[in-house]
Amino acid sequence: MQDFEDFVALRSQALLRTAYLLCGGDRGAAEDILQDVLMGMYGKWRRIRTSPEAYARTALANAAANRWRRRSRKPEAPLEQGAAPAQRGHEQQVVDADSVVRALAQLPTKMRAVLVLRFFEDLSEADTARTLGCGIGTVKSQTSRGLARMRELMGEQVLTWN
Amino acid sequence: MELKQAMEAATADLDVRPGFVGDVMAGGRRRHTRKLLALTAAVALLAGVTTGVVLTRSSTSEPDTGDPRLTAATSGDLAGDEDFIARTLVAWKNARNESWMSGQDVTEVSGTPNVFWAANTVDGQAALVAQAVRVRNSNEPQTLVGLVAAGAVEGREVVHTRSRDQETGLYRLGAHSSTYVVLSLGQRVFWSVNPVRGPDNRLRRDWRQADDPDGVAVVTAQASERPVILRSTTAPAPDDFTRQPLQNRARTGFTFGQAFTPHPGLGWSGQRCTDEKRPALNPKSESAERDLQERGLLDYQIGDDSSANWAACAWTPDLRFVRVFESYGQLYGVLYDANGVFSAAVLGGPAVKGASLPVRLVLPDGQGTLVAEFGTLLGPQERPDVWLAPAGTTAVTVRRGDTPEVVPLG
Repeated sequence: MQDFEDFVALRSQALLRTAYLLCGGDRGAAEDILQDVLMGMYGKWRRIRTSPEAYARTALANAAANRWRRRSRKPEAPLEQGAAPAQRGHEQQVVDADSVVRALAQLPTKMRAVLVLRFFEDLSEADTARTLGCGIGTVKSQTSRGLARMRELMGEQVLTWN
Repeated sequence: MELKQAMEAATADLDVRPGFVGDVMAGGRRRHTRKLLALTAAVALLAGVTTGVVLTRSSTSEPDTGDPRLTAATSGDLAGDEDFIARTLVAWKNARNESWMSGQDVTEVSGTPNVFWAANTVDGQAALVAQAVRVRNSNEPQTLVGLVAAGAVEGREVVHTRSRDQETGLYRLGAHSSTYVVLSLGQRVFWSVNPVRGPDNRLRRDWRQADDPDGVAVVTAQASERPVILRSTTAPAPDDFTRQPLQNRARTGFTFGQAFTPHPGLGWSGQRCTDEKRPALNPKSESAERDLQERGLLDYQIGDDSSANWAACAWTPDLRFVRVFESYGQLYGVLYDANGVFSAAVLGGPAVKGASLPVRLVLPDGQGTLVAEFGTLLGPQERPDVWLAPAGTTAVTVRRGDTPEVVPLG
């Protein structure tokens, strides 16, 4: 299982970041689902035919969705709203970073997962659809609505995408 | 701001907690074992097997580095002293949360510690402990080895599985740190004190082999005796100053050489050369110190205090390059030909802090006298810090600020 241990050691940080965004900024939950997903992969390691990272991403997205379902559609706990700084500068980047997490937390789970996979993980629409087990059309529509909603939530802050 | 950029900024500081990999592996193993057990139980039930099957718990995932010290029986004259061994383990475990872990890159201390040696020494009871640990940037468990004495951990080091030959295996204890516990690690342990300089200026050290029953040698020597300890398969010759001495890296921030008698070093720092037109010479050898050691003129350099943090250099009239430095409070000069080959060595006197013009080294073959006093202007051309006074110079003007002083050259 050395290769699995190598995978965990090398990829845990990147996967934790994805999990953090999928959980809408809940770090504790992100660590929990990541550990759970990786522990689950231990016994299946030899049988995973796809890329282990893709497998982990799918499992994380499912785990984040299941977590949301278990919470009975309660909204994600939003980060505390900080006072906006008077001037834009280095601090503004921090605010932007927090704002994007706060905004993501308010999106429906699937919409959030689509945006995270498309814009954070740089997956194509097809790969995103494969990861989430949905159609490309769904990915397109969720992306479009998700970006529009993010703009609304982030207020005056300019949000662009490639 | 781009969405991707904002997401990356929001997650930039995130990293998994220390020990995460170990937790995943242990948890994965447990879960996998539970599944196998459940499957086995189900199959057994379906097959009608009702007797003769005992499901046993899987063994705990004790990390194993392959180091025999993790499981070795305790050796030493206190091997049977269960009370002392128990107290040693308590002291060892109590020290788990100290700040040393980050310094040694240890992220997880989960293995069972094992006392593999326990004995009386002239400085009291001491024990050596080994324990498997996990460290940063490695997926394999490593072995932490340390010494416990007087109820405290006196030193420890992580022995990496893939570089066991790098183990220092040297620990010190006692009020004056004068007792050395040395692991022989399959070789022999030699030690020497009090180097003697002969009429030809060459040094000698008499070496003794330390007894190392059970692979652990205990040596006692005062710091003022300048002890040198090394591990080798053969005894060093008295004039051999090129071996690799053991230095105490096992205790963070503490080096073997710190126990040497403090020398009256000049306290300067930096390198000063008088001739800016010529580049500093790159000797063919490893270093000027090494060149002198190979000729038996310079003692083992152990610890930070052995060599001062300064050097002065100059080109001589016959186009040789001289480098002057200080070691253990004595001045040394080494001359090289222009092609970088060793030419000659010069032993100076003591480096006395506070003396006027403390560096005065008469060079051979009428090449003049190298004088130095950092922070001053020297000679008629008011050279900063260092000046090569021509042969026949009887006095040097030293200017400190606005005050000139004429210092005679004896």
